[in-house]
Amino acid sequence: MYGLGIAKGMWVTLQHFVDTYIQDAQYLFRSHKYRSSKLLERQGPKNARGLFTVEYPFEKLPMAENLRILPFLVYNSGTGQERCTSCGICAKVCPPQCIWIVRGTDPETKRPKPEPVEFTIDATICMSCGYCAEFCPFDAIKMDQNYEMGAYDRWSDLVLTKDKLMKPDTYHYQIHPSAKEAEAANIAKSERAKNR
Amino acid sequence: MGIKPPERAEYIRIIMAELTRVMNHLAFCGFLTNEMGAFFTPFIYAFEERELILDLFEMASGSRMMCNYFRFGGVVRDVSDEFMSRLKYLVYERLPKKTDEMEQLITTNEIVRTRSIGVGVLKPQDAIALGAAGPLLRASGVKYDVRKADPYGIYDRFDFDVVTGKNGDVYDRYLVRIGEIRQSLKILRQCLEQMPASGEIQTGKKQYQARVPAGQAYGRVEAPKGELGFYVVSDGSPNPYRYHVRATGFINLGTLETMSVGGKIADAIITLGSIDTTMGEVDR
Repeated sequence: MYGLGIAKGMWVTLQHFVDTYIQDAQYLFRSHKYRSSKLLERQGPKNARGLFTVEYPFEKLPMAENLRILPFLVYNSGTGQERCTSCGICAKVCPPQCIWIVRGTDPETKRPKPEPVEFTIDATICMSCGYCAEFCPFDAIKMDQNYEMGAYDRWSDLVLTKDKLMKPDTYHYQIHPSAKEAEAANIAKSERAKNR
Repeated sequence: MGIKPPERAEYIRIIMAELTRVMNHLAFCGFLTNEMGAFFTPFIYAFEERELILDLFEMASGSRMMCNYFRFGGVVRDVSDEFMSRLKYLVYERLPKKTDEMEQLITTNEIVRTRSIGVGVLKPQDAIALGAAGPLLRASGVKYDVRKADPYGIYDRFDFDVVTGKNGDVYDRYLVRIGEIRQSLKILRQCLEQMPASGEIQTGKKQYQARVPAGQAYGRVEAPKGELGFYVVSDGSPNPYRYHVRATGFINLGTLETMSVGGKIADAIITLGSIDTTMGEVDR
């Protein structure tokens, strides 16, 4: 019968239309509407029916642990010691070459010190590949999950200098909960390199 | 270089590759109907499934589109248990249902059939002469799939068919892609059954600078849009001496002239949509 194919297609559309309203009605009076910890209940693959978009500025999905946006440097929140030893491997593996490091020198002995004086990452060039975090032997550089990086000016906001890149390890363990045990050996290695 | 990835890494690679194929072909159905004037409704239905697959990519690799997940001799990191449970749900329950739904929406639709049957016909000899590959070539009736013709990875272990069309028109290209989604899901199911529950995912040490011996090599894979080939010439130094990518979109786009000469202008739009080219590949 002519027109049957269109009717069958319309039936699918109608189901989707009804689904949208059922989903909306289900979550209309729930208290967790705008809370990100409960969002996965609605978003997860098992319950995803109808419209499963989020109302972004109010609702934010919890990020996957492996998500990688931009690198940051980790320091010990207790002692204030940086993990970075300015070995330069991150700058070497960086495919678009957006990391610049200036190695520090000891003022007394005039010998190079395992600490960077300057550490600059150009966020406009960085392509978020994550190689720097993967190949850092001291677990000093890690990938951030902050995706809200709108800025008006490149030179003052997006060329990240060392003071902007330094973040405490408590923040790092908060966004990467499984990293704590895996890194213990490498942190000890970093401290040994510094105290030599 | 003679590096053989461990068993588990091989299976993870196949899972990722086949999920990409499912995602691409579903989105193709959306784009094709977009081209025909069914503005964004089937497209958004396809994008819902694409979103769930991209969530999986984000969990495993850290990025949705630029996954950067494979390494020489393995993959970056192991997949989590949550990943596997979500994948099982998608492969066994959700995606087959949604493929049926997409087919119910489009396949028998009279408007789609009148617009696409007999439009943009590509004869098998023309397709071969113009170097077309992938679903475009198979829709013309040529049974050629790199996964079968030159099995790479562990594709020789899986039981799947090469889907071919008969007439080589826009409608056949759509049917071939729907068939390929089903075959991909079949491969994914076999993958999930055979995959070792745990194990190594990387052979040897991770290296950022591969020492490649001097010489040349051509590797090819069956990408969702066609045959994707990489040609490398090395002179023994860390950087390649010459590097060429056989981009599928660029070469498949060359068939557009043969298909659309003599047809209507409105049909040319659908023909272009049925090639499923990405303009990022063409701009070179």
